[in-house]
Amino acid sequence: MRLILIFISAAVVNNFVLAYFLGICPFLGVSKRLDTAVNMGFATTFVMTLTAVITWLLNEYVIIKFNLPFLQTVSYIIAIAALVQFVEMFIKKSSPPLYRSLGIYLPLITTNCAVLGLALFASLREYSFIESVFFGVGTGVGFTLALIVMSGIREELDFAEIPKSLQGVPITLLIAGMLALAFMGFAGLLSV
Amino acid sequence: MNQSAKMIVVLSVFAVLSGAILAGFYHSVHPRILKNKLEEERKMIFAVLEGSKSYDTVEKTIKGAKGPEIVKIFVGKDESGNIVGYAFTAKGPGFAGTIEVVVGLKLDKKTMFGLRVLNQKETPGLGTKIAQEKFTGQFKGLSIEPKIEYVKNKKPTKPNEIQAVTGATISSRAVVNAVNARVAAVLDILKEENAPPEAEEGGANGRR
Amino acid sequence: MADDKSLFSVFKNGIWTENTITVIVLGMCPTLATSNSASGALAMGLAATFVIICSSAMVSMVRNIVPGGVRIAAYVLIMATFVTVADFYLQAFFPEMSKVLGAYVALIVVNCMILARAEIFACKNGIAPSMADALGTGIGFTWVLLVLSFIREILGSGSIFGFVILSENVFNPWVVMILPPGAFITLGLFIGGINYFTKHRGASR
Repeated sequence: MRLILIFISAAVVNNFVLAYFLGICPFLGVSKRLDTAVNMGFATTFVMTLTAVITWLLNEYVIIKFNLPFLQTVSYIIAIAALVQFVEMFIKKSSPPLYRSLGIYLPLITTNCAVLGLALFASLREYSFIESVFFGVGTGVGFTLALIVMSGIREELDFAEIPKSLQGVPITLLIAGMLALAFMGFAGLLSV
Repeated sequence: MNQSAKMIVVLSVFAVLSGAILAGFYHSVHPRILKNKLEEERKMIFAVLEGSKSYDTVEKTIKGAKGPEIVKIFVGKDESGNIVGYAFTAKGPGFAGTIEVVVGLKLDKKTMFGLRVLNQKETPGLGTKIAQEKFTGQFKGLSIEPKIEYVKNKKPTKPNEIQAVTGATISSRAVVNAVNARVAAVLDILKEENAPPEAEEGGANGRR
Repeated sequence: MADDKSLFSVFKNGIWTENTITVIVLGMCPTLATSNSASGALAMGLAATFVIICSSAMVSMVRNIVPGGVRIAAYVLIMATFVTVADFYLQAFFPEMSKVLGAYVALIVVNCMILARAEIFACKNGIAPSMADALGTGIGFTWVLLVLSFIREILGSGSIFGFVILSENVFNPWVVMILPPGAFITLGLFIGGINYFTKHRGASR
């Protein structure tokens, strides 16, 4: 039950993008079209889940065991960079069309604050292994959700007349603000 | 092959240097960080235990809802070394995150010295009011038996009642629930540790 | 980035023309997260500036040693080291600030701004220009953060740096400003405003 709560909390109530401001760069950059948004979302969710697993193992069997808290940030980011590299090679070999459609966005997942953020939060909250996994999937789904909603709206915006100064980033941010306001309605839905 | 070897060597050297720098820096500032944590703990305890100048810590592992939990009870003492009261932290889910409070329990183990909110992320302007004196002040001298209760939109009538913040019932309730949940465990531990018997005159000198 | 640009013009670049937040649009995550209080914004700005100066300097120093293939990995390692130093420094000497910023200090390591400066500038230029570029970028980042936080803190809590300026009797704070929606809206309007201002001046966009 608690696992379901963690998942829903991460995906909706405490959405990484709209409540914690993680993953904003890809959120602003990739949310123009629905199909790229979906691809990016799934790829990121995949990486985030694996990251949750690896960083939990790293934390448990290296950082905590040998009492090296100062190596946490460094080791996490290296693990993430290596993971993304492997995922990239794997996708390149197993599905070239998918690799082509993701293009530059795949390596950019390394610098996605949401990935490192997920690892740090999970360690901070001292989640167990299975809790971390659910948290990883949940945050990834939340990120994807925000991306999909935003891209859906932006595709509609193509037909609107937006003042020149607001075109591009500003209007996206304003919309994100309204989305964040809407998502705040979920607060208090459940407490984890 | 030379290129790959060079890459590996360079990265390894960097990694080792990084590790060394971090280890060194960490160990040099670690004592300071510990000192800060201790200072924070002291401030928190002295805020809820009036008259205490020092404290001992009693630690016990109990079976919590999520597995084994460590409960810490801070036994506050005055200058002469007499026990003033007991302080402990309690936390629980609030409206928008975990709320953490510190509670001061009087020697009689039936009434509170008071309560302070340590951490909360409640709705600013509403839930955050639980951190204000108007709410926390109600816990001064509050009875914890049989358990703390809250009322809404009217003045409390019983010695164990407090009034919830208007418009922030969930946050207020979270505080009450957290304290109630923790008090039971704390009383059990105190019983086990054979804490000094209840003060006869209700003062710091109450010792048989 | 030609090498013959003067140090000062490199420095100025980061503050306005190629301002990280308003022009290049990087480093959004910490900007939105820490701009709800002026002290948080200042702390984050200074911490990030510290990391970017040290990282750019180091990247520039080793630019001829590091083989191309492991460039990014090496830069990230350097950044992560300095970020950890900044994190523990804050925990030791400014514990309240450390609590306010929380995990966002560690997240400086994925602040695209720092990696971008390393990749675009520091690995191709000497130490002095790299540090000038880093200093300019850092200050550019910090001043935008401060302006945003002033707006959000005054409107959202009636205070600046924690000092209450508009007490609740005078002005009922717009609490939304210090919450996530307020962050997005303030930043959006701010960038929009800057766009308008620069367009008005004839700069092409």
